[in-house]
Amino acid sequence: MRMTVLEALRAAMAYELDNDPDVLILGEDVGTAGGIFRVTEGLQNRFGKYRVVDTPMDEKGIIGHAIGLALFGMKPIAEIQFSGFIHDAHEQIMFCAAKYRWISGGQYTVPMVIRAPSFGGIKGGIWHSQSIESYYAHGGGIKIVCPSTPQDAYGLMLAAIRDPDPVLVLEPVPLYRALSGEVNENGEASKIGVGELVRSGSHVTAVTYGPLRHTTAKVADELAASHGIETEVIDLVSLIPYDIDLLTESVETTGRLVIIHEASETLGFGAELAARVQQRSFGSLQAPIERVGAPDVPYSYRVGDEYCRPNERRIAATIKRTAEYSF
Amino acid sequence: MTTQTEGNPRTPEPVPLERAGELGIHRVIDQNGELNGDLADPGLSRDEVRMFYETMVLLRLIDERGWKLQRSGRIAFWIPLRGQEAVQVAATHAMDPADWIFREHRTMSPWLMRGASLELLFAQLFGAASEPQKGRRLPCLIGNRAVNMVQGPTQVGSFITHACGVGWAAKLKGSDARVLGMFGDGATSRSEFHSAMNFAGIHRPFVVFLCVNNSWAVSTPLDRQTASSEFAAKGNAYEVPNLRVDGNDPLAVYAVTKKARADTDSHGPTLIEAITWRSGFHTSSDNPDLYRQRQEDKLWEPWDPIRRTRKYLTRADWWNDDDENDLLERCAARIQKAVEQAENMDIPGPDSQFEDVFESSNWMLDEQRKKLLDELADGNH
Repeated sequence: MRMTVLEALRAAMAYELDNDPDVLILGEDVGTAGGIFRVTEGLQNRFGKYRVVDTPMDEKGIIGHAIGLALFGMKPIAEIQFSGFIHDAHEQIMFCAAKYRWISGGQYTVPMVIRAPSFGGIKGGIWHSQSIESYYAHGGGIKIVCPSTPQDAYGLMLAAIRDPDPVLVLEPVPLYRALSGEVNENGEASKIGVGELVRSGSHVTAVTYGPLRHTTAKVADELAASHGIETEVIDLVSLIPYDIDLLTESVETTGRLVIIHEASETLGFGAELAARVQQRSFGSLQAPIERVGAPDVPYSYRVGDEYCRPNERRIAATIKRTAEYSF
Repeated sequence: MTTQTEGNPRTPEPVPLERAGELGIHRVIDQNGELNGDLADPGLSRDEVRMFYETMVLLRLIDERGWKLQRSGRIAFWIPLRGQEAVQVAATHAMDPADWIFREHRTMSPWLMRGASLELLFAQLFGAASEPQKGRRLPCLIGNRAVNMVQGPTQVGSFITHACGVGWAAKLKGSDARVLGMFGDGATSRSEFHSAMNFAGIHRPFVVFLCVNNSWAVSTPLDRQTASSEFAAKGNAYEVPNLRVDGNDPLAVYAVTKKARADTDSHGPTLIEAITWRSGFHTSSDNPDLYRQRQEDKLWEPWDPIRRTRKYLTRADWWNDDDENDLLERCAARIQKAVEQAENMDIPGPDSQFEDVFESSNWMLDEQRKKLLDELADGNH
């Protein structure tokens, strides 16, 4: 069935609510209103107020209570209204949810989903445009996935709900309604940790995730047409763990890597990718690994979408420079 | 109210338990072990009260031994529990064995009262690989699922919402299990306390909140923790029924906790504030002489829970000097045996830290494990 990213997320949650009585959704405005983006629209009517729960405006409380629910065998899906509001719950996520299994010697587990509508491009300003992945990728115990197509959204949401560990789902806000595609509603979960080869190319590898996957693929097509530069585009889809083999196999063919993400460059996820790729594929590299990310500045309401978030011009310039680089 | 002058240990304050009636602090027995409180005797049997007393004495002797192990460098850390034996023993007994207890940092009673071994407890103190948490937590941060005793994350108060969430899940799933969420007075300043009260007021989970008010959060006295004259009343804003109880009166703690547990069916949560006194250091890393006078401990001695319980037992003719000598001998022998066994247990190897990060490892952890082991091997010239 053809559906938007938003509808695919909803379909996956509805499927699990239908099939697993332990699943419940909690968050601010998720019930009657169906969430401020309407991702959970209609679910409270269908499953009732005990399974789709409107909570107080308290991110730390939402995550803390979801942890308790999960400790006792429920499968909570906690919605954070915008990723920029998640930080109040940082300790609960990183030092409680992500650590219970380890600190208890495996006696207690916290299988839960944290939904975080993420990324820029919606004229949202600093708190409604955040790329939070680096804050949550550090130190272990929580998986991070980042779907960028309706099928990924469906399969990864199912995977996240069924996972035995906490999973942070970075939902691509600018794609919620902008993108639609076929979704096989077969109830099958995707595998976390598997990236996608979006476009083949032999000159340079461009790795990205989230909404910029589509921007990067478009730039790659244009560079092929205008300059004959063939860019291999990889969408990581999962960040913890990420698909290192897909990435290094590509880099070992092209010898050149550009990393594109919306987060600030310093200690962004690209820093991890660059470090790992140079360690594994040092002998193959024919150019410095380049990053296209946000500068280390907050996200402006008026010009953030144009000048903070990587745009087509910056991505094109960096891919071209890297493809043409010679020692 | 503040009697502390800057930079000096505070002038001793009167023991609030002396004015229990006036302050609305429930109790069954007074300092002489006589039935002289506002609450009725909960009618515990001879064996039950003897068990309270024996467990309290065992806890105190464990505390004394733990302290010595730390001071002699055999374990790295100690969290004293002296003076707080009654509240944990009585509250544990008021709950069913299948009920979850989120312990605060000075509570060991569920471990002892629900049948886990003393050897395993000391194994935790020595960081043995075979203890339930695989040697990962500081000594005294003990958790054991076999006896439904949860050691939450170390940050004080961070797990109050978890306890509330477990009680919420128990209600949603129609479980018979109830939850006792214990925490200290300092934890009431954390936002998780207020989150939990707020959610609990709305969703009425199967939880009993037990604030063990031992009068100190490290060096911070009550009047620097809150302007409120009590912690229990903080439940009022959230429609969480609440009360204060003499935390050094095990019969009273038992009575109110038992009732609060029963009330979960009808109205959900209760917040109990149990008033007690931390007679020792905050931890082995503390120096209480900087902020309080030893004389203040003396004021609390007549209110010591072991002393009071023994008086109650003696009056009932349920305890005599032979019982006491026998108990002390048995406890000493058990502790000695446990220490000897635990100290010789294996500690975790370098691999162990990679377990339980996730249910299944991933390539990132596998690579790091291999790198670590290779480096350790190569470094052995």
